[in-house]
Amino acid sequence: MTTTTSLLADLVASASARGASYADARTVEREQEGVNVKDGAVESVTRSSDRGLGFRVIHKGSWGFAATDRTDDAALRGVVDEAFRRAEAAASVQRRTVTLAAVAPQRGEYRTTLGRDPFAVPLAERIDHLREVDAASKGPRVKTRRSSIAAYRTRKHLVTSEGTDVSQEIVESGAGLSVLAVKAGAKPAQRYDMRLTRQAGWEFVLHLDLVARARRYRDDAEAMLDAPLADEKPTTLVFAPEFLALLVHESCGHPTEADRLLEHEVAFAGTTFMWPEDRGKLRYGSHHVSMTADATVPGGMGTFGWDDDGVPAMRTKLVDRGTFVGYLTSRETAGALGLPVTIGSARAESWQHFPIVRMVNVSLDPGATPFAELMRGVDSGLLLDAPASYSLDDKRQNFHFSTQSARVIRNGQLEGYVRGVAFQSLTPDFWGRCDDVADDWELHGFLSCAKGEPLQLMRVGHGAAHARFRDVPIEVRG
Amino acid sequence: MTLRGADALLTPLREALRDAPADEADAYVHRRRAAITRYSHSSIHQNALSDETAVRLRAIVGRAVGVVTTNSLAVSDLRRALADAAALARASRPDDDWPGVAEPAPIAAAAAYDEATARADAAAQAGLVARVCAAIPKTMRAAGTSQLEVTEDAVANTKGVGAYAPGSLAYLRALVLGDQGSGYAEDLAWRADLLDAEAVADRASTKCALDRDRVQLAPGDYEAVFEELAVAEILRIVSLTGLGGQSVREGRSFMAGRIGERVTGERFSLFDDPLDPRTLGVPFDVEGTPKRRVALVEGGVARGPVYDRASAKAMGARSTGHAADPSRYASGGHAGNLTMSGGSATREELIGAVARGILITRFHYTNTPDPRAATMTGTTRDGTFLIENGKITRALANVRYTMSALELFAGIDLLGAQRLARDWWSSNGMGSVVCLVPPMKVRRATITGSSPV
Repeated sequence: MTTTTSLLADLVASASARGASYADARTVEREQEGVNVKDGAVESVTRSSDRGLGFRVIHKGSWGFAATDRTDDAALRGVVDEAFRRAEAAASVQRRTVTLAAVAPQRGEYRTTLGRDPFAVPLAERIDHLREVDAASKGPRVKTRRSSIAAYRTRKHLVTSEGTDVSQEIVESGAGLSVLAVKAGAKPAQRYDMRLTRQAGWEFVLHLDLVARARRYRDDAEAMLDAPLADEKPTTLVFAPEFLALLVHESCGHPTEADRLLEHEVAFAGTTFMWPEDRGKLRYGSHHVSMTADATVPGGMGTFGWDDDGVPAMRTKLVDRGTFVGYLTSRETAGALGLPVTIGSARAESWQHFPIVRMVNVSLDPGATPFAELMRGVDSGLLLDAPASYSLDDKRQNFHFSTQSARVIRNGQLEGYVRGVAFQSLTPDFWGRCDDVADDWELHGFLSCAKGEPLQLMRVGHGAAHARFRDVPIEVRG
Repeated sequence: MTLRGADALLTPLREALRDAPADEADAYVHRRRAAITRYSHSSIHQNALSDETAVRLRAIVGRAVGVVTTNSLAVSDLRRALADAAALARASRPDDDWPGVAEPAPIAAAAAYDEATARADAAAQAGLVARVCAAIPKTMRAAGTSQLEVTEDAVANTKGVGAYAPGSLAYLRALVLGDQGSGYAEDLAWRADLLDAEAVADRASTKCALDRDRVQLAPGDYEAVFEELAVAEILRIVSLTGLGGQSVREGRSFMAGRIGERVTGERFSLFDDPLDPRTLGVPFDVEGTPKRRVALVEGGVARGPVYDRASAKAMGARSTGHAADPSRYASGGHAGNLTMSGGSATREELIGAVARGILITRFHYTNTPDPRAATMTGTTRDGTFLIENGKITRALANVRYTMSALELFAGIDLLGAQRLARDWWSSNGMGSVVCLVPPMKVRRATITGSSPV
């Protein structure tokens, strides 16, 4: 898109001149390249790009938003008219007016630090790498092998009526891996992770060591075919960081989104069980459990220079030694709830989306115990590596997870696999069973957290270390 | 909200394809102009309109495929994209299973488009919300969405396929909240004048009024009445795990190795019928193949899946016209316009047939812990009630349901009249499975847990 600061500023100025109490214009250009290999053959090679402009106004106390992918002057100015029509219409059914929490005007640029630009890696090199990965995932009972590499680039430019003018270029690299093993008379076993992403260059793809990971996934999947059913009784569970990343996302990240308090998401995504009167009181988990939202983590999928309200990247505590203490907020939700802006988490998937409260990088803080020592504390239990199916209620309080692979821990040592393991719990009960967190914290990233109407798929980051949970009731299904 | 029209979409595609630097090529355009008004506390809090066009171009060189997506319809941009796609194909590896682009074939005219819906403005849309908010009791508050959408789909390829279809969608949902509980209702149609705001408000607020003094239900098997939205949720899992040709081929589907066999109860019949305008279907798929009505399960017997060109070739079948946008759906065929056979039971008769059981309005955030069995787990919300001796007697805390769809449908006792519905995920655009679906009374639904009251 060939928009410039002056064009965006002109659009914003025209809205101010028409009486908008606030306006912003945001251009976004996105590029993506992906290669997928299935069973040794290239399944697809894709490149995509799009660009457009989103325009927001607050007029008569209500938001109006319009977005277009057309670049002609008439279309760009047409979005201003439509945004006003939308605000006028919203104001006709209004009980609450929008108040934005104050933030100083921002100016500057943000760019991802790259080792090697993933878009500059020749396609042949990417394909060769995936074919090597594919070969490593072959096994006598492996039926389907899939692997992928992707690169993403997003350029954003935000200009607001309050004087903010910020530009960002964010580059992400990712990979995916899936191994499906089958045996006559047994339930198929799949080991996969399609969430191996980071705000980084090609160096992250190499860091993943996909070849070694493919062998591990193959071994896990084939072993699960022969594994006996687990015993259905409460047991000690040790979760790998990869698994906890999703648990943190679903059971802490979502319920601390402040727009859920205002019932903005009640009809779709739901509300929360963590209400303002609970701050500083609600026992969310044991004293081992602290969680932090941090938009400054190097390499995080939720890292940026500014959110889409123009709030600079910040860091804030959500759970402090087991007690719920904070929310993820936008300027609107902070204003409505009378909260200070301690984190900016207004994010839009792209130009055609209205910014809403999203996670940034929401992480379980590391503990101080080495992983081996944490395992030594398990006489009998299970190590769960990665989630399979997961389902949450509308308050993020009642959840159900199943697992791709479960390994038996006996006297601190791993001894084979069991299958059929799932668990359902209530969030504070689950995190209350955590009796230690290891020091091996690592960062994970998700590409597609779903929320909002129209649906917005957001990149978010989650760090976690191995952690141990006592006496967790499990379900076993064959 | 005006259409761009067939010429505006197809002419640039044809021009760009005319000199495509590839052995063959095709192009798929999806334009979506979506106006979405969201409200909470009986007040509009977001009001957004977006107009976006995505073009997917495939270039095939020596059976290798390159794919480029752009959001420009300028011929120069399309030519550049096709050249890029051809370059990607040359750098790629041949796909020995490539089925070729579609041959031209007669395509039915689009039926699910309404000009008046397309022309409805922001004020009219806000008016639907105002009507809901005015119709509920003053002690309650409403939240939800009013959505009016126009789509245009077009496909062209180097073999001469040229297809275009407009579509429209009108949607209104209301979650009504009181001092204790909540109730939910929605209307979905291809015409805005089919949305009945007052009826939606009445259904939701009636349930909200009943949702008081909740008790918890112990885990176990119960008789149950599933309303339409709840059945749609089950069908989503069935569709995504078991109705595509690729899932059958890979052995992931409940149909794998069982086509022609009884897989569930004889009262269950399911079709994919995109040519029925009530299902909001487009008459061709993203490859330009005409869509067909497909019998999936008849009288409890598995009849077969839907196919795209690749899965059809692999399975020795013909494409049924069910290729879907690969950016949103798994490859191999997507059944997204389902019709489940209904019956004549009224709501009172469905509830009246339950000695002790549960009424489920809808589910939240479902998933499948066992895809091959089409098992779904999810929690209920916005209207879960205990039925005793044929009457609703208590409000229940939300429960977790976990059960194979095949086992659930095996226990169908009664079916009501069909209604257009979408599951929780589809209602928000996470894939799309639109269902003409009846409410049903079943002998057994497995409840595996309860949320706090």
